Order: sequence, then structure tokens, then C-alpha cells
Amino acid sequence: MYPIFEIPVVGGPILMAAIATFHILPSHLATGAFWMTYFIERKAIQEDRPELLEFLKKFSLSILIFCFVTGSLTGVGIWFAATVISPRAISGLIHTYVWGWATEWVFFVIEIVAIYVYYYTFGKIAPKLHLRIGFIYAVAAWLSMVIITGILGFMMTPGKWLATGGFFDGFFNPTYWPQLCFRTAMMFAIAGTYAAVIAGAMKNGGRDTIRKISGRWGLGGLAAAGLFAFWYYHSLPTNAMENLQSIAYVEIMYKLAIVIAVVMAIYFFLLAIGQGRFVNVWVGSLMMVVLLAGVVGGESTREFVRRPYLIPGYMYSNQIIGHDFDARSISSEVERFNSKGLLASHPLVPTDLKAITEENYLKTGEILVKVECLACHTLEAGGRNSLADILDGIDAESAYYLLEDLERTYMPPFAGAGPERRAAANYLAVVAGGETGTADWVVAGE
Amino acid sequence: MGNELFLQTMRDPLGVPFYPIVFQGLSVMTFALHIIFVNLVVGGTIVAIWGHFSQHEWMRKLSRSLARITTINISIAIVLGVAPLLFVQVVYDPLWYSSNVISAWWTMVFLAVLIIGALSMYVFYLRRKGGQQRAGLFGLITICCLLVAATIIHALSMQALHPELWQGWIFGGTDMDTSGWGLHAIEIGRLFHFLAPALVNTGIFLMLYAWYFEKRDDVDMMELQLVANLGRKLAFYAALVTALVGLWWLLFLPESLSFMTDPTIHSGILLSLILIAVLYRAGRAPSQYALLCGLFSFLTVFIMTISRESLRMAYLKPFSYSIYDYPQTTDWGSTILFLATFLAGVGVVVYLVRIAFNAGRGEYAA
Repeated sequence: MYPIFEIPVVGGPILMAAIATFHILPSHLATGAFWMTYFIERKAIQEDRPELLEFLKKFSLSILIFCFVTGSLTGVGIWFAATVISPRAISGLIHTYVWGWATEWVFFVIEIVAIYVYYYTFGKIAPKLHLRIGFIYAVAAWLSMVIITGILGFMMTPGKWLATGGFFDGFFNPTYWPQLCFRTAMMFAIAGTYAAVIAGAMKNGGRDTIRKISGRWGLGGLAAAGLFAFWYYHSLPTNAMENLQSIAYVEIMYKLAIVIAVVMAIYFFLLAIGQGRFVNVWVGSLMMVVLLAGVVGGESTREFVRRPYLIPGYMYSNQIIGHDFDARSISSEVERFNSKGLLASHPLVPTDLKAITEENYLKTGEILVKVECLACHTLEAGGRNSLADILDGIDAESAYYLLEDLERTYMPPFAGAGPERRAAANYLAVVAGGETGTADWVVAGE
Repeated sequence: MGNELFLQTMRDPLGVPFYPIVFQGLSVMTFALHIIFVNLVVGGTIVAIWGHFSQHEWMRKLSRSLARITTINISIAIVLGVAPLLFVQVVYDPLWYSSNVISAWWTMVFLAVLIIGALSMYVFYLRRKGGQQRAGLFGLITICCLLVAATIIHALSMQALHPELWQGWIFGGTDMDTSGWGLHAIEIGRLFHFLAPALVNTGIFLMLYAWYFEKRDDVDMMELQLVANLGRKLAFYAALVTALVGLWWLLFLPESLSFMTDPTIHSGILLSLILIAVLYRAGRAPSQYALLCGLFSFLTVFIMTISRESLRMAYLKPFSYSIYDYPQTTDWGSTILFLATFLAGVGVVVYLVRIAFNAGRGEYAA
């Protein structure tokens, strides 16, 4: 167990989601753009069109800045955000997939060296050699996606890992292949959208050619992504499907993603048939924002449907290990906390707060609620998924029975010994402005 | 906190998939590479700003080159920083995670200032390239951002070394501190000892720069000599300052750590002295000594990084925390996946760097 970080009103998950969602654009662009670059450079060499090489110079410089400054740092940012919001979850992932991440890092290093060599050797080395550098980059970048998708898929469907604990059993999980295909297709759609922005900034030369290529790659990528999304949808586990249908927010996000996909398809189609003259840098950038909104929809859906877990079948959203994991001789913490108490088991809770007393029951109640609820909720009225709003006016006793019933919903069960549940319930009543319990009731149940 | 073994209970129950010493070795190796590039970024930015405001044409020209090189070094420093960040979480997870959560918002500030600093460097470089002289402000923004980032990451590392203070930081006040705004441990001596080598390595980089370009026919040899001399002087005097700062910091380290008797710090001091001597000698013909200085500087940084790890272990001794007894479930498949990719990756990187190296010297026909 670790210290707690609380973001009032907004909540921690939003911080995580904001960084992770934005990161999708530069990361997928970094993986997809150089396949397009390779195609355009080959065309430029074969058809002797130096104006296309001029585009590529601008394109690769902008990718350098966008992907290897903001992209790299938001990638690191996801780690940092996960660290401060859900340290035990990122720890679990890292302790399972450290070699996967390390392998991905090798591809990052190749990418960064390749793109700088590519950019700074324009016109300085033989065209075929230059083309080869672009190809090396494209392959390395895509392989980094091959690796990270295994870890992302694992967070949704750990598959046989739950039985064996093996790296590849979790890596090649039930949603791995559809997700890899989907992301591969989407990287072309994102690359197409971005190329249209850069083309819009060009004054002459190959602008129209690039717009058409952007449209074709974008449309092809989006259409393929649609098919793979269908496959992905049908490989989701039962609980994810239930969440998709029962949580209103998820349903809205899911529909948003579909609407934006249709809008983007029309946009790409116009570009592809040469009707994209209206696309200047501003229109192109606007469409990037629209695409980002679609990504928000898709990613929110992916995040929410795995509730109440961070690692399904192993760790709950509030970072408590929820089930025995025999492959690694790990026991459920829920049972341990129910018998020995969460406060007593938390290594950082001071000795005078390990047991609930008449003097500390408010403070211990606060600790318990913050440890178990802040992963998804805020405490303030008007906040995101606010407990004050959801539980509006609830009294301590009702909150106590509610905590007993959490398992019936898509929430983790409350973990804690008898007085701890009452202390948490009492604090929830404080938060919700309801009738609180007496010190006697909290400590002794009387 | 009463229970000195509490760090063990915070370890991830999933254990590590290979021998902990391998993760430690990788962490040290990649951190050394990372910190060298961080040095080049900080020092390169300082010299680029200096050159920008200089009256000498050769300094302004150098400033433009350094601005471009620094944009590259920033990206490389970021990517190289990912690896030690990963490996430290594998074997020192209780320390790193606790420290980060206590200073959660500061980790976000760290990222924000890095993004602003890196983008400002690009603006500085592109505006200079476009002939705009009013670009100095962006250089200054970059260096300010880098110094803030350095202070934050330093504090995060220091907080991780003081588990005995965590409880007080969290529960010390009337309320539990969940704000994420705590930044509790800054050790000025150690921070300066990380920052001062920036000018040493940048100075040596300038010597290497002169050595690299003097093979070309289209360069001004006088200018290159000026660059090499500047680099040598910068490296020499900065190395003296670094040594003095290091000594000052060592004297203030708690005696209980017994760090003065640590063989790795002795090796580090010896190598630093050799480097200073070589830099002094290089005054005769700086570019000819560039490779030798580069080699000794790398060795010094590498040994100092091992010494940093040794210091961390000394800090954790009272908690009986040793990474070597971290629960392990060996996973050969994923280990081989990484090692094979790593070896292949080194080959690809060498191939690419060779192309860039030859192209920079004009040895390829376009």
C-alpha cells in the first residue's frame, strides 16, 4: 500500500485520461507516419518529384518535434500519472512486463536515432540509402506498437496469465490480435490526418498530391479500423459487454467514437477524390481535434469497460488485490483486510491510527474512504463521480449497509474489518451531509 | 516508524522476472548514458545562450550549431531516461512510488517544464536558423525549465532515500496530506554535483566537435581551434569546480553511511583527478586530446553512477532493504526477447550512427 494522491473535484483518473488520450496522437503518428513517408519518398525518387521531398522534410521535422518532444514526454507522463494515481497497478504491470517495456524501449532508441539521421541526411546521402533509413524507422516504430499492445490488451483481458502467471500467456491475450490490427489501421488514419495538416501549410508543389495520399491512407486506415473494431468488440469479455450496456457514460463515449469515425470518413473521402482544396492548415488542425475527440470516446470506453478492475481477475480499481493468484502464491487482500483490518495492514499508517478508537474514528474513516474510493470518486459536491452527490444526505447506518452490498454493482467490495466499515460509513455520511453515527456505534457497533 | 522491515512488505508480490542484479546493472548503465546526455543538454543550452549574446561571430555560429545539436540531445536524453525510470521501479518500487505520490503534482510540473523547455529550445533553434536575433528569450526559458526539472527529479530521488520520514510527511499535520504538493528533500551539494558536470561534458563535446569537423575541407580551421580551446578551458575549470563541490557534498554526508570508505567513490575520485590532469595537458592541442578526454569523462560518469547506486544501498541498510533478496520468478522467454532485441538494436543503432558520422564529414556523395 502507498500514500494517496487526491485531486479534488476533478479526480485522479481524469489526469491519467487526459495525458493518455493526448499521447495516442503522437504515439500512433510516430508509428504510422513513416510508412506513408516511405511510400511518398519512393514515389518522389521514381517520378523525380523534388517537391515531394520538400514536403517530407517539413513532415519529418514536424514529427520530430510533435512526436519526440510532446509524444515522448507524454509517454513518460502516462507512467508518472499512473504512478501517482495507481502505483500498485503500474507496479503490477511493470513487474509482469518489465522485459516487454525494455524491449519496446530498444525500438524507441532505434526510432529516435533513425529519425534524426533521416532528417539530417536529406540530400546528403544516396537516395536509396535514405529511403532505407526511413524504412528502418517505420519497422522499429511499428514493432514498438506490437509490444505495447500486448500490455494494453493484458489490462483488459489477462487471459491465461491468471492461471499461469506467464509473460506470453498474458501478452497474447484474447484481445491482443484485434487490438493490434485496430491500432495498426488507426495509425494510418492518424498519419493521414496529420499529413493533410502539413500539406495545408505548403504553398505550392506537391500539395494536391499529398492531400490525395492523405485521404486515401486515412480512408483505408479508418475502414480497416472499423472492421477490426467490430472484431475487437466481439472479443470483449462478458463483464466488459455488461459495462458497455449498463454504464450511461460508456455508452455515450462509444457512440461519440462511432459518430466521429463517420465524420472522418467523409473528410478522408473528399481528400482522396481531390476535393480537399478547402483543407488549409486550420481546417486540417480542426480535423485533428475532431479525431482526438473520437480517440477520447474510444479510450474512455476501453478504460471504463474493465471496471471494477485495473487488472481483471487480479487487482481491483482501488489497487486492492481482489483474488487469490495461485500461480504466484498471492492471496486475496480483501479477505486479509476483512479479518485483520486494512489500517493494521497498511505500512504507512501510524501506530495510533491502526486501531479505531473514539478519538480517531473520524480520521481513520477518512483514510479508509480515501484508500478505497478515490480511485474512481471525488468527495466534493459537484465533483466528478462525486460521493457527496451520489450519496446525497445518506446516514451512517445506511452507508454501512451500502458498503456491504458494493459487490453487486460494478464496484470492488469494501475491504476492512467490522469497525473499519462503520468508520468508513460514518465518514461517507459526513461527506454526504447525512446523519453521522456516534463514536460508540463506530467503535463498538452499539 | 517502529517497523524497520516495512519496506519489504511494500514490494510488489508479483516479484521480479529475472535476477535483481541484472536490473540493477541495466539501471546503472542506462542512467550513466542518460545523465551524459542531460549534461550535454544543460551545458549545451548554457553555451548556446552565451554564444547568442556574444559579440564574436564564431561564437554566434557555434551557438546556432549547439542549438540544433541540443534539440537532438534533448530527445535522446528523454528516451535514454525511460530505461532507468523503468528499472528503478522494478527493484526499488516502494521507494520510487512513495516518493512520487507524496510529490504527485511536482511530477506533473516536471513533465510540463520539460515540454516547455524542449519546445522553447526548438523555437530558439528555428528562429536562429531563420536569422531572427530576438530568440535569446527562448534559450533562457529552456535553461530555467531545465533547472526546475533537475531540482524536482533530484528531490524525488532524495525523498525515496528517506523512508523514515514518509510517515511524518503524510501524517505529520492535523490532516492527512494527500495534496501531492509536498517537496521535502533537497540536498544542495548533491544537486550541484549533478549540475556542474554539465559544463565539463559540454566542454569536452566542443573539443570533439572540433576534432570531428577539422577533417572537412570546407571549414574554417581558425574557428575550430577557437571552439576547441573554449571547450578545453570550460571543461577544465568546470571539472575543478565539480571536484570541489563533490568534496563539499561528501563532507556533509551523514557519517553513518560510511560513504568515505566506499571503494567506488575512491575510484570515482581517482578518475576525476586523471580527467583533470588530461584536460590540463590538453591545453597544448585540445582537439587531439578530445577522444581521450571523452573516454575519461565517460568512465568517470560511469563509475560515479555505480557510486550513486552504492550510496543508495547505504541509505537503505537500516531498513534491511536489499534488492538481492527481492522475490524472483524467472521468466526466460521474456528475458531472451529483451536480450535478443537489445543486441540487434545495438547493431542497428551503430549502423545508423555510422551513416550520420560519414555524412556529417561529407563522405557520402548525394
